[in-house]
Amino acid sequence: MTAAATPSRRRRLFRSNRRVPPTLFLFPVPALVLYVTFFVIPTLQTFQYSTTNWNGYSADYDVLGLANFQRALTGDLLFTNALTNNLKFMVVVVIGQTFLGLLLAVLLVRNTRTTIFLRALYFFPTILSSVSVGFIWKFVYDPNFGVINSTLGALGLDGLKSPFLGAEGQAIYWLAITQIWFHAGMMVVIFIAGLQAIPAELYEAARVDGASKWRQFRSITWPLIAPAMSIVVAYTTIQSFKAFDIVLSISGNPPSSSLDILSTRIYSSFANAEFGYAATQSVLFIAFIAVITFVFRRFLRLIQGSES
Amino acid sequence: MQNDPRFAVNRRQLLTLTGAAGLTGLAAACSGPGTTTAPSSPEGPDTEGPAEGEVSFAHWRAEDKEVFDELIADFESENSGITISQTISTSTDYEAQALRRMRGGEIGDVAPAFRGTQFESFVESGLFVDLSDTDLVSRYNPSLITVGEQDGKQYGFPYQVVFNVPIANMDILESVGVQESPQDWDSYIEMLEAIKAKGITPIAFPGADAGNAGQLFNAMIMNIAPSDDMCTKIQAGEYKLTDDWFIEMLRLYQQLGDYVQPNAGGTAVEPAEQMFATGDAALLSTGSYHIASVRTLGGEFPIDLAPPITSAPGEARYVGIYNATFILGINSASDVQPAAMAWLEYLSTPEIAARYADGTAQFASVQDVEYSNPDLQAIAPWLDKELALAPRYQFTDLDMRLAVEASAVDALTGTDPEQAAEHAQEIVDQRIAAS
Repeated sequence: MTAAATPSRRRRLFRSNRRVPPTLFLFPVPALVLYVTFFVIPTLQTFQYSTTNWNGYSADYDVLGLANFQRALTGDLLFTNALTNNLKFMVVVVIGQTFLGLLLAVLLVRNTRTTIFLRALYFFPTILSSVSVGFIWKFVYDPNFGVINSTLGALGLDGLKSPFLGAEGQAIYWLAITQIWFHAGMMVVIFIAGLQAIPAELYEAARVDGASKWRQFRSITWPLIAPAMSIVVAYTTIQSFKAFDIVLSISGNPPSSSLDILSTRIYSSFANAEFGYAATQSVLFIAFIAVITFVFRRFLRLIQGSES
Repeated sequence: MQNDPRFAVNRRQLLTLTGAAGLTGLAAACSGPGTTTAPSSPEGPDTEGPAEGEVSFAHWRAEDKEVFDELIADFESENSGITISQTISTSTDYEAQALRRMRGGEIGDVAPAFRGTQFESFVESGLFVDLSDTDLVSRYNPSLITVGEQDGKQYGFPYQVVFNVPIANMDILESVGVQESPQDWDSYIEMLEAIKAKGITPIAFPGADAGNAGQLFNAMIMNIAPSDDMCTKIQAGEYKLTDDWFIEMLRLYQQLGDYVQPNAGGTAVEPAEQMFATGDAALLSTGSYHIASVRTLGGEFPIDLAPPITSAPGEARYVGIYNATFILGINSASDVQPAAMAWLEYLSTPEIAARYADGTAQFASVQDVEYSNPDLQAIAPWLDKELALAPRYQFTDLDMRLAVEASAVDALTGTDPEQAAEHAQEIVDQRIAAS
C-alpha cells in the first residue's frame, strides 16, 4: 500500500484484507447449532407459546394474543402472591447477602491462618447441594424438634418460639435467611478479590493524612469495590429469582402459598397442564429480572458515584 | 493459509448467511405447539407379536422398589426373553413430566397414572391403550376399577387401595376408654379432649406439607357436603366456599386446632410421623400409606383408622375414605406391548398382588388377595364399610385444590373461617374465569 492510494482503492484493499478463509466459518458451526437448537429456538417458542392456551400435550390450542399477560398481571392472585413473595425474598437476600459478604470480607481480607480457615468455613455451605441445604434448614426450622425452638425452650424463652415456615407473613424471610447462609461465602470470596486489588498505598496515604478507619472505608474501599459490588448485586438478584430447588426441598412440592415464588409458580402451572400460561409467566419472569437488575446497577452506580 | 478469492466471503455475504440461518431458526421455532410425534392409535394392546424385549416400568413409588425388584426377578426367571427395568421419579416429577416423556415411547411401556387429572390426560392424549377386552378386567375388584374407566372403556387398573384418613395409636385410644373410632363429632372431640388431658398431643398434623395436610380434608368434607361430587361442583362454580356448609366445615377445622401440636402450620410430614411413631401423638392425620414408615421408625403399637365424623350420631353417610390409585396401563407408543402385557398380567395375579401388598403395607385392588401383613389384616375390615372415594381428587385443577385445602389449614391454624373461605373463593373464581 502506498501513501498515494485513492480512498476507493483503500476501501477495496481493506475489504480484501477482511476476506476470511471459508473453512474458518466451520469452526463455530457446532457451537452455533447447539446454541440455536437448545437456546434460541426454545426461547422463541416460549414467546410463541405464551400467547396460546396450549396444555402441553394436545395437538389443539387457541391463540389468545395478550390475554395470558393480562390474566397474569391483573387477574391471578397466585401469580401476584408469588411475585410479591419473590420481591420480598430478593430485597432481603440482596441486602443481607451483600452487606454480610462485605462485612466478612473486610474482616477477613488479610491473609493469616485464621482468616484463611474462616474463609473456607464460610465458603463451605456453597459447595453443598441446594436440596441438602433445604433439608438441613427444614429441620432447623421445625417447630417441635428444630434446633432454634429447642434452644429457646431450653433457655426458658418459650414465648419466642415460632412456627417459622408455617408463619404466613414471616415464612419468606426465614427462607431468605437460608439463602443468605447458603451463598454469603461465595460473596465473601468475590469481595476479598476486589479488596485485595485496591492498592495499599491509598490506605497508607489516608493514614498519613489522619483518616479514620470509617473514613478510609467510605472514601477508598467503597468506591473502589464498585466492580465487585456490581457483580455481587447482579448475581444475587438473578439468583434470588432462580431459587427453585431450595424452595421445594424446604417447603415440599407444591410449596405453601407463603413460600411460593415465581419459579415455583411457573413449575406449578406446567404441572397443572397450563403450558401456554406457564410460558407467559416465564416471559414476565425474564422481563422482571432484566428490569430489576438494571435498576439495581444504576442505583449502585449512583450511590457509589456520589460517595467518590 | 492463503486467501483464495474464489472462496472469499465479504461482510455482506456473511450477513446474508447469518440472516438466513436466523430465519431458519425462527421458522423452526414457530412450528406450532403440540406437533410432536403422537402415539399410535390407542386401540387394544398388541398381543399378537412375541412377548420379548426390554420393558420399561416407570413409576413414582421409590419406597416399593425392593418389592418390585423381587417380583421382577421372579418374572424374568419365568419369562426368558423379557427384561423389566424400573424408571422411578419422585411423585411430583412424575406428575409434571411423565406424559411428555412417555409419549415418545422413551420410557414407561407399563406405567401408572394418578387418579383424576393425570389419568384423564393420559387417556385424552392417547397414551393408554384400551384394555376393556382383556381378561384383566375380571381379575380386579369391580367397585374399585371405575377410576380407570373413561367413556365406557377400561384404560387402566388401580393397583393400590389406601385409606386417606387419620391413623391411630390404639394403645393410647384404649387408655382413654376408646375401643374403636367415634362415629359422631361430639364423641370425637371428647376423645381428643381425653387424650389431651393425659398430656399427649391428640393429632400430629403436618401443616407445612400441603399434599399431606390436605388428606384430612377428605374425611372432614365427606359427610358435611350437600352431595358426593362436592369438589367437582366447587370447581365448576356451582358450590361456593362461602356457602354455609363449607364455612361450617372450616369451623370444625378451627375446633381441631386445639388438638394439634403447637405451631402445627410449620410442621413437615417427617416430624409429624416421628411424633406419632414415638407415642407423642395419638393420631397422625395423613393416611394408611404412612403405616409402613411408622413401623420403620420403631412404632410397635396396634394401629387402626380414626376418621373424624362431622355428623350427629346416626347421621353419617360415610364412615371413612379410600382412594384407588397407581392406575396401571400400557403405553400405546410402546414397541414391546406383548411383553408389557405379560408383566401387567403377572402383577394382576392374586399371589403376586398379595406379595406386593404385604411388602409395602398397601392394599391391592386385585380380587381374592389374602394378606399376611398384620397391619393390613387389622385394617382389612374397613374395606367392607361405607366409604367415600377420596373427594379431593375430584379436583382436576391442582391450583384450585390447593387453594381450597389451604383455606382449611388456615382455619385450623387460626385464621377466621369466613376470611379463609373468601380468599380461597377469590382464587377459585379467577381460575374459573380463566378456563
